[in-house]
Amino acid sequence: MQLHPEQVVRTLLNESFHSRRMVVAMFVVVNAGMLAAGLLWPKGYSASTTIFIDEKNIIQPLMQGAAVTTEVTDRGRNAREVILGRKIMDRILEHGGWLKVSLTAEEQERLIEQIKKRTTVTLLGKSIIRIEYRDDDPERVYRTTQKFADLFIQESIAAKAEESSAAFEFIGKQTDVYQDRLNRTEEELKNLRSSNLEARVGSDAEVNTRLNELQSRIERTNQELREAEIKGLALDRQVSGEAEVTSVVSREGQFRTRIGELQSRLDTLRLAYHDTHPDVVQIKQHIQDLTEELNTQRERRVQAKAEGRRPGPDEFAMNNPIYQQLRREQSQNQIVIESLKARIAEAQRQLNEEISRGKRVHSGDARLAELTRDYQVDREIYQDLLRRRERARVSMNLDSDRQGLSFKIQEPAVLPVNPTGLQFSHFMAGGLLFGILIPLAILFARLHVDPRIRVGNAISTALKVPVAAVIPHFWTLRELKSLRAEQFLLVLVVAATIAASATLALLRVLKVL
Amino acid sequence: MSKIEKALGKAREEHGNLPALVSVPGTVMVRERTGHPETISRMAMSESRLLSAADLSWRGIIHPGRAEDPVVQVFRELRTKISVQCQERNSVILVTGLKKGSGGSFVARNLAAAFAFDMGRTALLIDCDLKNPSVHQLIDNASGPGLTDFLDDPNIDIGAIIQPVGIARYRAIAAGGLREIPGEYFNSQNMRRLLDSIRQRYMERFIILDGPPMQDIADIQVLSGLSDFVIVVARYGRATNAQIESCLNVINPGKLLGVVFNDEPRIPGFG
Repeated sequence: MQLHPEQVVRTLLNESFHSRRMVVAMFVVVNAGMLAAGLLWPKGYSASTTIFIDEKNIIQPLMQGAAVTTEVTDRGRNAREVILGRKIMDRILEHGGWLKVSLTAEEQERLIEQIKKRTTVTLLGKSIIRIEYRDDDPERVYRTTQKFADLFIQESIAAKAEESSAAFEFIGKQTDVYQDRLNRTEEELKNLRSSNLEARVGSDAEVNTRLNELQSRIERTNQELREAEIKGLALDRQVSGEAEVTSVVSREGQFRTRIGELQSRLDTLRLAYHDTHPDVVQIKQHIQDLTEELNTQRERRVQAKAEGRRPGPDEFAMNNPIYQQLRREQSQNQIVIESLKARIAEAQRQLNEEISRGKRVHSGDARLAELTRDYQVDREIYQDLLRRRERARVSMNLDSDRQGLSFKIQEPAVLPVNPTGLQFSHFMAGGLLFGILIPLAILFARLHVDPRIRVGNAISTALKVPVAAVIPHFWTLRELKSLRAEQFLLVLVVAATIAASATLALLRVLKVL
Repeated sequence: MSKIEKALGKAREEHGNLPALVSVPGTVMVRERTGHPETISRMAMSESRLLSAADLSWRGIIHPGRAEDPVVQVFRELRTKISVQCQERNSVILVTGLKKGSGGSFVARNLAAAFAFDMGRTALLIDCDLKNPSVHQLIDNASGPGLTDFLDDPNIDIGAIIQPVGIARYRAIAAGGLREIPGEYFNSQNMRRLLDSIRQRYMERFIILDGPPMQDIADIQVLSGLSDFVIVVARYGRATNAQIESCLNVINPGKLLGVVFNDEPRIPGFG
């Protein structure tokens, strides 16, 4: 059913008149309830304090890069957890005098929960924390609020100092670890170098060059050896083909040669001279003598030969000179071969040595590279850690000197004079307001929920049947008479209710209640 | 000049503008058929005593003197509406409550009063709610014969059961002795004849039947068949749309004048 606001107001007015007794009864009940609640409601006091977290400290830009200050906003964000944490709460309990009577753990827990509920921590902006505490004792409210702020600041600063010193310690420990490692690596490197002299940079290439050189030398020498051997074979062949003695040079030969020479000289002389010429005669004589001598020699040789004696030196045949030369060359060649073989053997030995050295160099190289790498990495980290440790030291000193992040109590807690929260007057006003609103709301709800018709037009709109008339209630004189009495009574009841609540409020103001 | 005309003239002098009787259609015919039609002037002569405004209020009837009373205004408007619908002829109007306590009798009683306010009209209220009769409270001679007596014994003179109420131009017929099964009475020829003869006897008369609640479907069907128009009364905060809809199905839509929404709460002296 769609009603115009005007219709709703009119219908509500009519309805509330219609159900006037219910409305008045509810008014009285609601008021009584609210007044009772107002009387029973504990008086609340609250105090608040604001803490300013100094974010832009002068130290920070000065120490840029050298020290790190703890993030302020994080502190702010964690404020609630820190303040309502068990650590601070325990001290608050102690300070607020709650522990004067001994409490069981469970009671204590419940008490802490209550205090937590009454405490509000709000982060105003980025750097202001507001702590508010409510309670029924103004003195305790003041003290507790103050303590909250103090404890929070103490706790935060302690936590900060602890954090930075922990960081310093950690970094210091790490630095030591790396220093140890660095020392160890250095020692190992030294040992490796001293035990393995070849272990140095470039040894590998050197060994390779040397190996190549030796190998090529061996090959070359082998070649020479083969040549020399071939030459030897050729010489052998030649030597076997030559006679040891080629011709016999004897005195007879010498005589004959002399005779031949003289004969040719005689021939020449005869051309010019007569046989009687002295020179010719002399020569003829000479030839004759020589011929005689030759014969004598021949006889001596035959005789010696027959007797089996070795003819005299001038009587033996001469050695073959080619043969001699070949034999000389052969022996020289043999010497060459021997020396080449020796050289090959030497080169081979050197090669082997070089190979084994190469092997040693290789293994040493790998270890060396590993150690060097370790050493470099460790050294870098170590140096970095050293720098960091120094920064951490400065940070720690900052915190221990209470520089960097700082807390200031912007607005200290004050002793609350007037109670806050819901007052008796609120309850009173609420009673009057709700005393009217609740019955109206009930009637309004009934108007919408109840299918029974309360607005004449609804029939014609819903059923398309004309509404011939909407007849208001006909007040007979009798009804009017009793209505007047009733109205008087109801007004009296309402007035009494209001008067009662006003009286209570007055008593409350006068602090009688 | 006949006696009637003399009386009319006298009445005009007393009350000012009275509509001319001749202007009512069918009047002459009725006079010819019955021979002795009851006229306003004759009724005026037979008014025994008129009730004061306070008496009317005690009886739950509106008074023309309290014109500022919204109830009076509403009934006047309703009367005008009905007159337009009836085209100024005297008609039989059945007023029935949606259920018991809907205020059907109240509406019937006051509607009749509203018609009686009009000096050119008279009203007759017939109590047809035989189970819960209420009209006898308006009548001085409550023990006199009523509707059921007449239906039982047609020899009774109609004039004997029509009683004055104490309001000018307003007559009523009480229910009479209680009967168990009212349907039979309404169905009888006598009921029809009664209505016909009343119609003929009183020319400018509106006959209002104070019917039983609509839960008595049988009675309602019979009575609505006998009447020209039907008014259904629904009470504020009692009836739902569904109830109204199911009850209206019983009535011939052509006869339905509309629903009267009764007893809307009103703060007295507050409009």
